[in-house]
Amino acid sequence: MIHDIKVLDIIISGLISGSTYAILALGFSLIFGVARIVNIAHTAFYMLAAYVIYSATYKMGIHPIVAMIIAIIVITFLGIICYKFLIEPIREREAAVLIATIALAMVFQESMLLGFGGHYLSVQPLIKGYLAIMGVKIMWQQLLTIIIAVVTLGAVWTWLSKTRTGLAIRSTAQDREVANLMGMDEGKIAVITMGVSVALAAFTGAVVVPLTVLNPFMWLHPLVMMMAAVVLGGMGSLKGSFVGAYILGFTEALVVFLLPGGAYLKVSVALFIMVLVLVIRPEGLYGVYFEEER
Amino acid sequence: MLEVSNITVCFDKAMIINDLSFHVNAGELVSLVGPNGAGKSTLLRAITGIVSWEKKVLRGTIGGDITFRGKVMFEGERIDDVPAHQIVERGLIHCPERRRPFRELTVLENLYAGAYLVKDKKEVQGHIDQVYELFPRLKERSKQISGTLSGGEQQMLAIGRALMYKPKLLCIDEPSTGLAPILRSEVFEKISKIRELGITILLVEQEVDSVFKMATRNYVLSSGKIIAEGAGEELLKDEGLRKTYLGL
Repeated sequence: MIHDIKVLDIIISGLISGSTYAILALGFSLIFGVARIVNIAHTAFYMLAAYVIYSATYKMGIHPIVAMIIAIIVITFLGIICYKFLIEPIREREAAVLIATIALAMVFQESMLLGFGGHYLSVQPLIKGYLAIMGVKIMWQQLLTIIIAVVTLGAVWTWLSKTRTGLAIRSTAQDREVANLMGMDEGKIAVITMGVSVALAAFTGAVVVPLTVLNPFMWLHPLVMMMAAVVLGGMGSLKGSFVGAYILGFTEALVVFLLPGGAYLKVSVALFIMVLVLVIRPEGLYGVYFEEER
Repeated sequence: MLEVSNITVCFDKAMIINDLSFHVNAGELVSLVGPNGAGKSTLLRAITGIVSWEKKVLRGTIGGDITFRGKVMFEGERIDDVPAHQIVERGLIHCPERRRPFRELTVLENLYAGAYLVKDKKEVQGHIDQVYELFPRLKERSKQISGTLSGGEQQMLAIGRALMYKPKLLCIDEPSTGLAPILRSEVFEKISKIRELGITILLVEQEVDSVFKMATRNYVLSSGKIIAEGAGEELLKDEGLRKTYLGL
């Protein structure tokens, strides 16, 4: 039956996109919550990580797993430097942050365009071959990506809910001023959060790169989907961005496999769902109420 | 214990605190009373470093520039140039206005957040037991998300959270606002109990009747200045003060 094949394809594809958006959205929400920064460059760090892996494996002949680790460390470091010197000084001015991070993303994009050219590049999967279930080919790399993504999401979640630093991040995300009154160094926590946030973006790039093609514009589509997921889930709610990400991931998969011309329609349908939810619930699925004013 | 001398706070061109001085001795319960907009909350925020933090972080993004002058001494050391999160380490704890629990966190997590600076787990547990003893309701609700608590419970949580890092001086900002009369008296009763634990208290309140009965000394604030000081009974004798500033 053709439908059985589609169901499995949809599940795999939905899980991959959903998990990708979820990790990206988690990082984006974290730094938005803690420092009220709308970091447009978030997915540009994801793109950079993919290029670091490409260079490390192809140009320098480094083992892919080592390359992944290098990419995450280098990009996280870069993210913290960008935060310290570019974002922190203008942190409280939302419009300025928005423009600065757009500029940052453009700089990254143009640098990659200059360094690697605009053509598509690809990276070898970590594990080659595929698994056949009911006549559907599932690449091992796809399964691996799903497992790594879900494990990472679980690990970050546990870290946030069980550790002292995690508690400080969640507290600061809700009320910076009161967090200060509990002895939490809000500025330091913002730097830590920025590190974690960018590391998650770099990690996503590292995990996804074998399944996709590299080009300097690859940050745009995930940026739109990630922001849609965050808005759908409710700005500032970690749980919300999580749920939003999977809803959009599966919507995309459903549209691609079930509608004619779905590959072209997937973004519009996903965004239409976001608009629909916002019309009914303007605060998103798990909207958070901010207590900031005096 | 706390010595505030000649502090002035301006938000842009509006002077909120005008060259104000006062002090709190160890073991006292001192109240700051006065009409809305007298600068009571701002005074607390200036003492505990929040005004300086706003000045540094917000840099004039809301309400223009912030000016903060004067000297704040706590236990013989100057703290007006110490960041807010380090002032906490010295045992000067601020329980903010409008309760402000971390709404998405559970009651227990809120208490853990209050004990952020305590590294020893056993000690944290000890503080939690102490808070639960004072507020048994919090123990019943420990797993509940704090945003869903009632107003009275949130106030108990806010005070409990402020007690998690053994305060020497506890500043409580308007704990009775928005509560039913029966809950107000419960809150005041708890504050008396906290004082019996040996914690000095600086209380900002509008509920003059109850506060004057509890406090050792009171300061009446108006337009950023202290216009009267003394024990409750003395202040109540002054007819003009009662009518104009205390609304009695």
